[in-house]
Amino acid sequence: MTADAITIQGLVKSYGALKAVDGIDLAVAEGDFVAFLGPNGAGKTTTINAITGLSNFQSGSVRVFGMDVVADYRRTRPLIGLCPQEFNFDPFLSIHKLLVYQAGYFGVAPAEASHRAQELLRYFRLGEKRNIDFRKLSGGMKRRLLLCRALVHDPKILILDEPTAGADLELKYRIWDFLTDLNRKGKTIFLTTHYMEEAERLANKVTIIHRGKIIHQGDKATLLGNQTLEQKYLELTKGAGEES
Amino acid sequence: MIKNWIGLKTLVRREILRFFVVFSQTLIPPLISSALFIFVFGFSIGRNLRLEVAGVSYLQFLVPGLVMMHLIESPYANTSSSLFMSRWHNMIQELLLSPLSYFEMVLGLLAGGVVRGLLVGTGVYAVSLGFTQFSFYNPWIVLYFFVVVTVIFSCLGLLVGLWAEGFEKLSVWSTFVITPLIYFGGVFHTLDMVPAPLRIVTKLNPIFYLVNGLRYGMIGVSDTNIAFSMILAATLAIFLFLAVETLFRRGYKLRS
Ligand SMILES: Nc1ncnc2c1ncn2[C@@H]1O[C@H](COP(=O)(O)OP(=O)(O)OP(=O)(O)O)[C@@H](O)[C@H]1O
Ligand SMILES: [Mg+2]
Repeated sequence: MTADAITIQGLVKSYGALKAVDGIDLAVAEGDFVAFLGPNGAGKTTTINAITGLSNFQSGSVRVFGMDVVADYRRTRPLIGLCPQEFNFDPFLSIHKLLVYQAGYFGVAPAEASHRAQELLRYFRLGEKRNIDFRKLSGGMKRRLLLCRALVHDPKILILDEPTAGADLELKYRIWDFLTDLNRKGKTIFLTTHYMEEAERLANKVTIIHRGKIIHQGDKATLLGNQTLEQKYLELTKGAGEES
Repeated sequence: MIKNWIGLKTLVRREILRFFVVFSQTLIPPLISSALFIFVFGFSIGRNLRLEVAGVSYLQFLVPGLVMMHLIESPYANTSSSLFMSRWHNMIQELLLSPLSYFEMVLGLLAGGVVRGLLVGTGVYAVSLGFTQFSFYNPWIVLYFFVVVTVIFSCLGLLVGLWAEGFEKLSVWSTFVITPLIYFGGVFHTLDMVPAPLRIVTKLNPIFYLVNGLRYGMIGVSDTNIAFSMILAATLAIFLFLAVETLFRRGYKLRS
């Protein structure tokens, strides 16, 4: 039996009295493109942080290719690339250096790291900016840099927390093409987004979280029938408009 | 114990470059202040002062104390601000996402403080050569205290860098705890130069043992038992390292 790319069982994460994630079970098969949807504050980023090790959690387990992300973190972390919701770059480094360091932490040798950084920057049209620091990039460029950094150690799973927020139309299409291509080549992708069109176009699986609980999980095609994802999403999350 | 050598080397390089690119703020000031201290206190005021017990000039007595002062301050300043800034800008997440073990992470973050301390300590000694020359009584003991003391205060800096919630909290510890302990720790005076009640307090000050340990290695003069000083230093270093590693493992103030 080959293990799923991501397996979450009974995950609970609370902040004081607030249960941000309330006992969720979730499975992502290798090669899947999952759209992980839910209203603001539903617990998407919290779930992602539990997978990547950016946050502790109270109970439950998270496994990546069968390995526990807490006990076996040295083996699970190289398998994951995270494109976080917020920018968290070192403001004192050029964007090229920043990628080289990041690859280095993952054990990629300097020459290879530099080569990969260059390639990624070129692909995302940041080649000319390679020697400046991230604060001097535009919002969309920063988003692209987040993608470069998530990919620089060549992870098997790509976790994207609103990767196209603030992207212009052209960039959006470019990212979509890129992700589709990556997924075709075998990368497992776990995408959080508020753009239903994006989710509908890219994903083959849809998972919806609402107030810390999973309210839907399955094939996109089965979920949709003859409706659009937006209609279906609104139906499932009805009454979720107010702050949860 | 170390598996991710490339990762560790990357982090070490990162931490060293971090202070090196701003060397005019991190490496030069301690050298200037030491030169002033040596000139004013050692060379001018202390010229006619001869330490009865020790039989050395005050200047020679002062040099190990000043070197120790910077073996304490530079590593502390380095790791506390580096870690705090990393948390502040959230870029600590780059490390937390990586497969570096917590042991490797702490080792790498420590390296910047240790190297900066060694550079500044050596530099202060080099400055002192312009005023007085003497050969080390025991170079191995000097080396021992250089390394162990920079490890101790790099670890302490990491603890404060983790704990602090604002820039002002970083200097609270150095202003109200470390600096007084240094000044009362025998950098400028021998034990019998201070009134009796203060001697008892002095003996409770760990920095007193570090200063005297280094002084013993440099000029063969000490108010403390050298073996005890060495054991105390190693114990503090190991204890603090383990404390930092444990906090990293638990994610104290690192993971939400
Ligand atoms: N560090 C924290 N401390 C306290 N509460 C938190 C913290 N991080 C998140 N929360 C709370 O947990 C809940 C879930 O937040 P989370 O960031 O997971 O939402 P999300 O689904 O990613 O929302 P969005 O679409 O707005 O990004 C929210 O109520 C939020 O306020
Ligand atoms: Mg979020």
